[in-house]
Amino acid sequence: MNYPFWDIDIGYGWLMGGIAIVHVFISHFAIGGGLYLVLAESSARKLNDSFRLEFLQKLSKFFVLVSVVFGALTGVGIWFIIGLINPAATEVLIHNFVWGWATEWTFFVVEISAAILYFYGWKTMSARNHLIIGWIYFIAAWLSLVVINGIITYMLTPGEWLQTGDFWDGFLNPTYWPSVWFRTGICIMLAGLYALLVASFFKTDHSKTSLVRYNAVWALVGLAIMFPTFRWYFSNIPGTIRETAAEAMPVVTARISEGWWLGGAIAIMIILFGLALPRFFGRPVAVVVMILGLLWFGEFEWMREAIRKPYVVHGYMYGSGIEVAELESLRSDGLLPRLAYRTGDNGADLFRRACRSCHTMTGYNALKPRFDGTDQEFIAAMIRGVGVMRGNMPLYPGTETESQLIAVHIYNQVDKRPLGEIYGLTGAELGRKVYDIRCGSCHEVGGFNDKSSSMVGLGDDEYNDLLDMANDISEEMPAFTAPDEERAALIEYLKTLSQGGSR
Amino acid sequence: MNVPSHNFLSAPLWLINVLHIVTLSLHLIAMNFLFGGLAVILLGRIKQRWQNPAVLRYVKLLPTAMAATITLGVAPLLFLQLVYHRQAYSAGIVSGWFWLFIIPVVILAYYFLYGAAFTKTPEKHNGRYLLVSLLCFVYVSLVYSTVFALAENPELCRTAYAANPGGLTINPDIGSWIFRWLHMITGAITVGGLFVGWVGKDDDAVYRTGKLFFTWGFATASVFGMIYLFTLGEHLLGLMRTPAIWALTVGIVLSAGSLHFFYKRRFVWAGIMVMLSVLMMVYTRHHVRLLHLADEFEPSTLPIRTQWSIFLVFLVCFVAALGLVWYMLKLFFAREQNQ
Repeated sequence: MNYPFWDIDIGYGWLMGGIAIVHVFISHFAIGGGLYLVLAESSARKLNDSFRLEFLQKLSKFFVLVSVVFGALTGVGIWFIIGLINPAATEVLIHNFVWGWATEWTFFVVEISAAILYFYGWKTMSARNHLIIGWIYFIAAWLSLVVINGIITYMLTPGEWLQTGDFWDGFLNPTYWPSVWFRTGICIMLAGLYALLVASFFKTDHSKTSLVRYNAVWALVGLAIMFPTFRWYFSNIPGTIRETAAEAMPVVTARISEGWWLGGAIAIMIILFGLALPRFFGRPVAVVVMILGLLWFGEFEWMREAIRKPYVVHGYMYGSGIEVAELESLRSDGLLPRLAYRTGDNGADLFRRACRSCHTMTGYNALKPRFDGTDQEFIAAMIRGVGVMRGNMPLYPGTETESQLIAVHIYNQVDKRPLGEIYGLTGAELGRKVYDIRCGSCHEVGGFNDKSSSMVGLGDDEYNDLLDMANDISEEMPAFTAPDEERAALIEYLKTLSQGGSR
Repeated sequence: MNVPSHNFLSAPLWLINVLHIVTLSLHLIAMNFLFGGLAVILLGRIKQRWQNPAVLRYVKLLPTAMAATITLGVAPLLFLQLVYHRQAYSAGIVSGWFWLFIIPVVILAYYFLYGAAFTKTPEKHNGRYLLVSLLCFVYVSLVYSTVFALAENPELCRTAYAANPGGLTINPDIGSWIFRWLHMITGAITVGGLFVGWVGKDDDAVYRTGKLFFTWGFATASVFGMIYLFTLGEHLLGLMRTPAIWALTVGIVLSAGSLHFFYKRRFVWAGIMVMLSVLMMVYTRHHVRLLHLADEFEPSTLPIRTQWSIFLVFLVCFVAALGLVWYMLKLFFAREQNQ
């Protein structure tokens, strides 16, 4: 709340994801690729294999252009973007881990220097010296992962740090070690997949098949490290986080099992086309395997970020930059007096601070479609009750008056026509829409917090009574304030629900 | 709820300041080689520029200078954010799009530098490639100057944000950054003149071009620097009462001294003096920031909770990194052992 809120139409998730995904792909490739280059060079020099040495020289040019330029700058880009979209969280990370970051920077200096000297040294250096620099590059690059991994994993599993505030408790947190080895596996797999992709462009002959087999072994070694360490990583995430994620974000947890399938598919394709039939390892196979590999990695990163919700540092700070410890005082004293940067429009300022980190009105995680055709009272009640919604939302951090101000701000931007008119629906179909909008955020039919089975077989009067006393059932539940036509349609829809909660 | 606070410095403030000032000075030296040298090469009158071996040698060094500039730029930004995070992030957000746009612009500049360094037809491509890079650097320097000048004026930052929270504001107080920016870029061109002359010391035309830019750049940068000092208004008086005024004086003397040694073709001494001069200027700059922020923020009031164990790890790694870079350079230049 000490910072202004960067109010842009693009969702923060897209912006952060766009830069971060590119960076993590390249940075992991840069580490695995370093090991690949130096080991492959060592073996090629022993065998005096000029074909492979030429291949490695070309690879290292591309490697420098991608990792030193794009990798390094997207890394700086992540730093820029987190400072823009969540300065409070960046402040937490920098204050706690500045010497970790500074240590990583020393490895970065060595890594970049070594990459450049390795590339320029192909023709001018002795084999021994060239290989020494290659090893220095790889070790420095891997050590930078070892350090940054502590800060990344801290955000999901801060562990003992939450009690002690000690650097090492936060750094060597419960998922630190599994994550180091899982990411090392990713680095090796990506190096193998990339080398396979490059090799797939070569003319098929004995040299190519031998190169494909060599690269395939790399990818398989990476996979062999990834499978057990992924399991280890996941089991070290505290049960409460996993259970909450499974309940509130089933889509995210479903991706975890998807990951196993993706890994299996990659392994089968590599064994089949890389080891057994290397002559058939053409471009289409290489591209498919590469996409599957990146997909698995991408899903892992997405899952890691998503299950942390609603926190940016689990149990310490919400994604909105509000500290958990501040919540009580904010709910009694209000957010507005604590906002250091204001625009004069209190509703808009509150909306930005409380909602905009994760939602826009019409774009990313849009709120307009969720509130079109509703009313101010309903919107305000929904805001106050966000903490119980599916999707792991943080608790509402302001006063009741402030929730009204946010509601006015949102209401001024939504479609004010009745839902039936907006969507052209009538009867039970309209009822389903009413349910989705007014009830579905907290009670998903057949899903999160489903209560439909308890409503099966009721009569009109009982449904009406239920809707009338909605606000009395729990503090977070909004009163049913929809027009009569929507009430009737909702009851009609509720009558269609069969036992068990299916539609 | 009993939770740890993050509002602390994990080392004494003086240590963080020293690290910030030293690493920023190193960053500026690398940046001057890159930006200043590039400007001198493009703007200087050198006959058959793209066939001149000294110029081509300089062009080939530019991507490495870029890597050094970026790498050495990370550390001072980290230490700056540790102390001045509220001011730096807030100003960054007010100019959010311009600030973020630095990343693609730098990537573009980097690839064009590599394009120039790798091209087999420099006479055809270098001019265009390097001009794109130069324009990119002008953009980056402009955004840096405007954002950091805004960071030193929290009241203006709040007003600017209230007027436009979408990150599309460039510091509206032009007087606070225009001379600062002009001083920075003319200073960079001055030092660029030194480096071009140094790299081209065996080519009279290139040396003379470097000398011309060094001399006139020094004069111009001094004028802009003076004007910038006067734009400080009441803070100028404050500056006079700090050790920074001595540092500034020593910095000016060292710059003049480096010019003298450059004329004598004693490049190592000229380079050392320029480096020390930049260090003095950065130190002065540090005091100017403190004076600007005095009404709102006093860094010495920040609580300190030291983390000596990880600091020691950093120190060991830092020394090891310097040693390794030195060792690798030794390996790289050990041509007598090469194949």
